Amino acid sequence: MRLGDIYFIAKDEWRYWFRSRLSLSAIIAASLLLVASLINTTHQVQTESATREGFQQEAVKTFESQPARHPHRMIHYGHYIFRTPTPLSVIDLGVDASAGTVMFLEGHRQNSTVFPPNYSNAYAGQLADLSPAFAYQMLVPLLLIILGYASISRERELGTEIVLYSIAVTPMRLWLGKTLALGASAVITLTPLVVGLSFAVSEGEPVWTAAYMFLGYATYLLTWVFIITATSAVCQRSASAFTTLLGIWIVLCVISAPLASSIAETGKSYEGKVASDIAVQQALRGTGDGHNEADIAFNQLRAELLRQYEVKSVESLPFNIRGIISLNAEETQTKILNRFSDQRMEQAKAQTQVIYWLGLLSPTLALKNFSVNIAGTSLSEYQRFQRQAERVRFDFVQKLNTMHAEQLTYDDDIKRSIDPLSEQRTRIDSHHWKILYATSHHENFEVARISESFPHFLALIFWCFFAAIMAANVAKKGDKNVA
Amino acid sequence: MLREMQREFNFAWKETALRSLIVVAFFLSAISLLAGALTINDQEDLALRLNTEIKSEQLQILKGKTDPGDIAYSLFHLTFDPPSELAFVAVGQRNELTWLHRVRLLALEGQIHETSDANPEILTLGHLDFSFFLSVLLPLLVIGLLFDIEAREHRDRRHELICSASRFGNRIFLIRAMVRSLLLAAAVTVPFIIAAINSNITLIQASSVIGLTLFQIVVWLALSQFITRRMREAATAGLSLISIWLVLTLLIPIIGKIFVEYRVPVPNGGSILLTQREAVNDAWDLPKTATMKPFTEAYPEWREYGDVGKPFEWKWYYAFQEMGDRTAKPIAQALYKGMRDRHEAMAWIALLSPSLLIERRLTALAGTDVLQHLRYIQCSRRFHAEMRHFYYPFLFHEKAMSESNLAEIPEFKPCAL
Repeated sequence: MRLGDIYFIAKDEWRYWFRSRLSLSAIIAASLLLVASLINTTHQVQTESATREGFQQEAVKTFESQPARHPHRMIHYGHYIFRTPTPLSVIDLGVDASAGTVMFLEGHRQNSTVFPPNYSNAYAGQLADLSPAFAYQMLVPLLLIILGYASISRERELGTEIVLYSIAVTPMRLWLGKTLALGASAVITLTPLVVGLSFAVSEGEPVWTAAYMFLGYATYLLTWVFIITATSAVCQRSASAFTTLLGIWIVLCVISAPLASSIAETGKSYEGKVASDIAVQQALRGTGDGHNEADIAFNQLRAELLRQYEVKSVESLPFNIRGIISLNAEETQTKILNRFSDQRMEQAKAQTQVIYWLGLLSPTLALKNFSVNIAGTSLSEYQRFQRQAERVRFDFVQKLNTMHAEQLTYDDDIKRSIDPLSEQRTRIDSHHWKILYATSHHENFEVARISESFPHFLALIFWCFFAAIMAANVAKKGDKNVA
Repeated sequence: MLREMQREFNFAWKETALRSLIVVAFFLSAISLLAGALTINDQEDLALRLNTEIKSEQLQILKGKTDPGDIAYSLFHLTFDPPSELAFVAVGQRNELTWLHRVRLLALEGQIHETSDANPEILTLGHLDFSFFLSVLLPLLVIGLLFDIEAREHRDRRHELICSASRFGNRIFLIRAMVRSLLLAAAVTVPFIIAAINSNITLIQASSVIGLTLFQIVVWLALSQFITRRMREAATAGLSLISIWLVLTLLIPIIGKIFVEYRVPVPNGGSILLTQREAVNDAWDLPKTATMKPFTEAYPEWREYGDVGKPFEWKWYYAFQEMGDRTAKPIAQALYKGMRDRHEAMAWIALLSPSLLIERRLTALAGTDVLQHLRYIQCSRRFHAEMRHFYYPFLFHEKAMSESNLAEIPEFKPCAL
């Protein structure tokens, strides 16, 4: 009967829960909430995806179906790029509600993403979120506390602890049995998570990233199981175990996230888009206006071209110099724009880095960090979207500038404001507009997501081991070391 | 009565657990006030700095310029919503809803929806401020303070003794709960009063905040009494109270939010953008009269200047910018109306949730809710209209701008709350 008594203790604990109205109602309430959160989030992700993908297709179609016109007009006509949720968003929507969903792409400028869902969502306070991530991070630990706070202290209060020890059950085995019971129920609560993950897999998420996400959540709940049984083992009374656990829960699940966020926000400054736009405008001064070929900023370029092609005037060049100037100006400007947007992204990253370090102090925060990074709903993923958008922007603008240089004659181009025939000739056919970099399919950055979430996974493992060792240590001593 | 209270106070203060809880409450209150104040101070500094920067930038841009079309094209203005004096108490949705923009005379629908691109991870995790403390944490502190005041005595078999020893009978526990709540109220309000003295908020504002604090404590004192009267077991009482907290603070707001969002649909921002772009861009390909005819119908005073002879004229350019705005405006207005309707519908949900009620009251007082954002947007839109009315005479009369004209270019002034 080596494992037998552990198993019997666990089984008995289960029987106790099913007899207790309180435990039973907590189990039912938590299950309903978990299922509701999964349905709610899946529904939300699907509607959002459908809307945004619909808009994206419409945007591509309208761009490609534009009539014949001057290519530079298309640069100002611009294009829209929509951010779509990743498959694992059904578990953790992460930053989605707070991050802009669409960005206007045009020449000479980098716009911000606009219309984050929270802009028009109803505001119901800071904690109003019903996603599986929220349910597992905050509510399931509470369920486990309700089930387990008295697991060992109850035996102590009833005097059955001594009886158990006298029939050769060691304190360690009592603790193992209770931990097994609570751990098993934690595993059962993970069923809706598995359903959600399977759904994500059916939407194109690789099995191994989904399994990895499962491991993270399981480790987190296991950490709670250890914290709960350890507290129960160390307390003389169930009531004090309950108070202590509730205190721990409030600190970890309610306070740690907003506190970390406030520390990061006030500790590392982030000045935002407007400040950066003003700085960009100052930096761009003197780089030359790409619309104006006479701008002195292009004197050198012009002289070089004339020398290279051994011609006397720009009219004799084998291409339209206005297009070349646009191409050149866009490249110079984009370098400056990217310098500032990189700076902004670095500032945001520095803030997030503070939160990531604070995750070492709170397993809940560590799980939040792990979860958004593996789900692809983190700041990093959002910044990848912004970089991708910039790539799409620069790509189509420069393709259009190249057409401007190669397909239009300089003569027509300069006369187009006064001569209707020249104007007609500067319009190039609509089939040229099929140039957009394919953005409709969602790029799945598995490797990046795994490596970004890995430090947080380590933090979770660390917390789990730490809690397990603490628990085993206090449990070993049985009733000799009650606080 | 007073003697009884005095004695209860002495009892309470001797308890280490109670003293530590009061200290924790004091520090949480102080930290949340500090965090809110730091956030708002940063925003004030930023607004001030950017306003100075953009002014000097404007001087640079205007140097040597006289063409009104060119000036209006390159001159950016800062519109912003400075935080109110009370904003440090409830940062609310200020971080989420943009409170500053950089605008010029071009189509406003292409500019007013820009965001500050704040760190979405910070926004998602939320922020600690006094409003969060009052609405979410304070009930938990009250529960922690009161959930076992009777159960503890039952356990030690002193309950009957205590009741019979007091002339208030078993109402002595109400007095005990009230005394402890008063201690908590003092620990929570003292940091606020210190913060209030160091700020410029009015006495009425300060008393409203204290009133809401007391309201929250009384609500949870009543709920605690209701539960602890009925539950002899400390843990059962505590659990019941935590469940009530979960329902009132989390579930009702969440379910209400889902319901309200389902019942009150809003147009998608994407359609505003796409509509506005088509309207603005189509103008380039259409005959000039397609823009100028509806424009002069809207502005009869410019009818005789409505002819556009050249392929490009500034007045036509700005006319089609405005006409583009007019096409997209109904969708934008519908969006704003939806936002307002959702906010108002949530008021009914808030009647069921004291926490949401407090959050809404505080953000309304502090001017950090969606209504204030919409007021600010309206203010920026009015400023844009003011600019149009300023520039149109120059554009239509094709008049160069003199030094004194430049000095008259409208400047944005934040609208009062």
